[in-house]
Amino acid sequence: MQITCTINGKIHRFDCAPETRVLDLVRDAGMTSVKAGCGEGECGACSLFVNGRLVNACLLLAPQIHDAEIVTLEGLQEETAAIRESFAEHGAVQCGFCTPGFVLRAYDYLSHGGERSEEAIRAALDGNLCRCTGYKKIVEAITKVKS
Amino acid sequence: MGVVGESVVRVDAASKADGTLRYTDDLPFEGLYGAVVRSEIAYGKIRAITFDASFDFSDIIIVDHRDIEGRNANVVLTDDQPFLAEARVRHIGEPILLLAHRSKRRLREAMAHITIDYDAQEPVLSMEESLALKQRLYGEDNVFKAIHTVKGSPPQKTGLFSLEKTYTTPHQEQAYLEPQSMLARYDGGRVKIIGSMQCPFFVEAALEGLAGEKIEVEQAPTGGGFGGKEDYPSLIAGYAYLLCKKAGQDVKIVYDREEDIAYTTKRHPSKLRYRSRFDATGKLHALEVDVTIDGGAYVTLSPVVLARCVLHAAGFYDCGYIRVDARAVATNTPPNGAFRGFGAPQVLFGIERHMDDIARHLGLSPAAVREGNLPGAGSVGVSGVPIAEYARLRDLFETARRESGFDAIYDAPAPNRGIGMALFMHGAGYTGVGESMLASSVSIALEADGSVEIRVGSVEMGQGTLTALPQIVADALDLPVGMVSCRTPNTAEVADSGPTVASRTVMIVGRLLAQAAGKLKTALGDYGTPDAYRAAVARYCKSGGPLQFGASYEQPADILWDEDLFYGNGYEAYGLGCYIAEVEVDPVDYRVRVVRFDAYNDVGQVVNPVMAEGQVEGGVAQGIGYALCERLVYEAGRVYSPHLSDYTLPMAPDLPEIAVRFLGTDGPSLGLGELPMDGPSAAVANALVHALGSAFDALPITPEAVEEACR
Ligand code: FES
Ligand code: FES
Repeated sequence: MQITCTINGKIHRFDCAPETRVLDLVRDAGMTSVKAGCGEGECGACSLFVNGRLVNACLLLAPQIHDAEIVTLEGLQEETAAIRESFAEHGAVQCGFCTPGFVLRAYDYLSHGGERSEEAIRAALDGNLCRCTGYKKIVEAITKVKS
Repeated sequence: MGVVGESVVRVDAASKADGTLRYTDDLPFEGLYGAVVRSEIAYGKIRAITFDASFDFSDIIIVDHRDIEGRNANVVLTDDQPFLAEARVRHIGEPILLLAHRSKRRLREAMAHITIDYDAQEPVLSMEESLALKQRLYGEDNVFKAIHTVKGSPPQKTGLFSLEKTYTTPHQEQAYLEPQSMLARYDGGRVKIIGSMQCPFFVEAALEGLAGEKIEVEQAPTGGGFGGKEDYPSLIAGYAYLLCKKAGQDVKIVYDREEDIAYTTKRHPSKLRYRSRFDATGKLHALEVDVTIDGGAYVTLSPVVLARCVLHAAGFYDCGYIRVDARAVATNTPPNGAFRGFGAPQVLFGIERHMDDIARHLGLSPAAVREGNLPGAGSVGVSGVPIAEYARLRDLFETARRESGFDAIYDAPAPNRGIGMALFMHGAGYTGVGESMLASSVSIALEADGSVEIRVGSVEMGQGTLTALPQIVADALDLPVGMVSCRTPNTAEVADSGPTVASRTVMIVGRLLAQAAGKLKTALGDYGTPDAYRAAVARYCKSGGPLQFGASYEQPADILWDEDLFYGNGYEAYGLGCYIAEVEVDPVDYRVRVVRFDAYNDVGQVVNPVMAEGQVEGGVAQGIGYALCERLVYEAGRVYSPHLSDYTLPMAPDLPEIAVRFLGTDGPSLGLGELPMDGPSAAVANALVHALGSAFDALPITPEAVEEACR
């Protein structure tokens, strides 16, 4: 079937089977910041925005993004610059596989006026898995993002 | 300019955070996808393989064991494991056929049109069944390796108390976030392997046997390993190689999470029997430990894991008589392998639970019993040589006990709360003579612009190699860290510095690099300023001297090891830990929360404090997961639910504030990677015992287990 959507502001047309995962679609289109971690909505590594909402691309099928506006980390470099800097500075990046998902989660959280308390940030990170860091430095990095 | 000891920002942080770093599956790729057809049964013979005549297989690349030109054996310590099954299968998921096609969809359809018939036999699914010889799977007795060691002689003293307890630990899944992935590039008849791995030279060696020739192996950015990418990548690299060679095209194999959890290596489950004799103060007089670990269907790394079990089984406690009997057995389950800690987390759970059980038996405080058993100047460990770290261990213990306020909280716990401690060590580097057998070498190269490139096989998998090794070299050369970088580990281009395992990268490889840097420095002569350095480089380059400097491992003269007697310095040095956990139990739903965690470590000089803290925090999180929630259920030899939705990993709200302290930072740098995985499970379990007064001897301690214990 034919799917049309915009990814990071550019129009993309896909000819694909209806059961194609959005995760595979956007990765094949070159947005490899979207990672396949678990494939079942548990890890958040495949996070991206669909019409402004942060969702797991592994749980969406192609028809669900027809006519939608998709934004991935590739399209949010400027907006996430301060967050990424804070992640680097505070040691919140280890193997890095989870990092794009966490950066987008932090961006979503902060741009919706999320509270800078450790507890609130920890709660907001439920849904993103990191096997390397133990989360402490990720939480710290988000608390200290320069606004 | 001493950059060692400074929290230099990771060199790879920016490219990881902006999403531009390319892991294996992100690399540009036009080729075929590979897939593995696996055994559906745990044990038996393959009777027939049928390709459904109604399906057109003509465009599918199919590989079976007859396509192997070299040896059909993944040689790790021994050669019992085939890349592809021939007549017999020994575990569910054992690879039988490989397929490749441009379309993943068509691959799936093809898989569905292949039927394999078996003569199934009764499988051996537990360590007990294995030891009872339900089937003979390996040798005469199903034992891959046994180690028996005795130190000292049984106490003559009478009137001692005795205690016998059995502790068990389960499988644990590494759950690196990036699944196993491997890419075989085809270039005019030659194959090059690129992939997610810890040990490029292990993969190269495995492929050399398989292919009958040297294959170039390059590490791609690796999204976590934790041991899961130590030995396993050799297999998946072999599959990619075989398909690529037959197809004459690039082939990529990326496991999905289900396949990764179900069929790749896990932490060995263990059954640990501790029998002790002690006096009324809790002082140990005899300790007998019986260890059985489940190796799964093939030997892989089990003998080395077992050696690490033995060397850590008694902790560092002073005891006049220690006896350890240990064995790794064969079962018809997927092979188990390396996982951060490599045998130590299992037995350290055993000994540290046992120390608390002794305290409980006598009605004493666990801290007091540990204190009474701290080693001193003359104390010898399980391998018969003095415990050199005794003074540092006492320091660590005393500081942790005092600063954490352990005694006050232990004596007056809040309702439904408890506090627990674990005091432990971790051998850094390879076991026994392992390091001298590896004979690692390193190389650094001076570039014309004065920058220095490190050429080693040690990889970055999240732990910080790409940053820590340049710090060490820059420090030795008095250069800014930005002047030193690491070349991508590629077996055709770098020195074989050994595998990236066993907490050895900073300690062993780092030390060799500092030596190599020392040679470069001598060659350059005196320089005090950056300008003088540049001038020295220019002078030296003109002189035509060698631009590469190397160093190789030499066993320190005072290290002795006798493998047969299991006597000597099991390790060159040990990292030390004293971890303290406070838990709270919800009396309604029996959920356990770790509310505070203090991790006191002595790993000598810390190269990069922020990265080191991150290693400890991550290891503690894995250890808390091991203690409380990570549970794989096997049914008839198959992982029952190979999903991250069922295998629960700690998430941010599940973890406490983890306070990390480093003591003893003036010593030489020791390995740090594995230590933090060793202590948390016992500290948490002991805290639970304190909170509820029941025994918690089996991991993981899920809410169901707590409820059971409370009933
Ligand atoms: S891959 Fe989508 S949530 Fe894990
Ligand atoms: S940094 Fe490796 S999973 Fe988060």
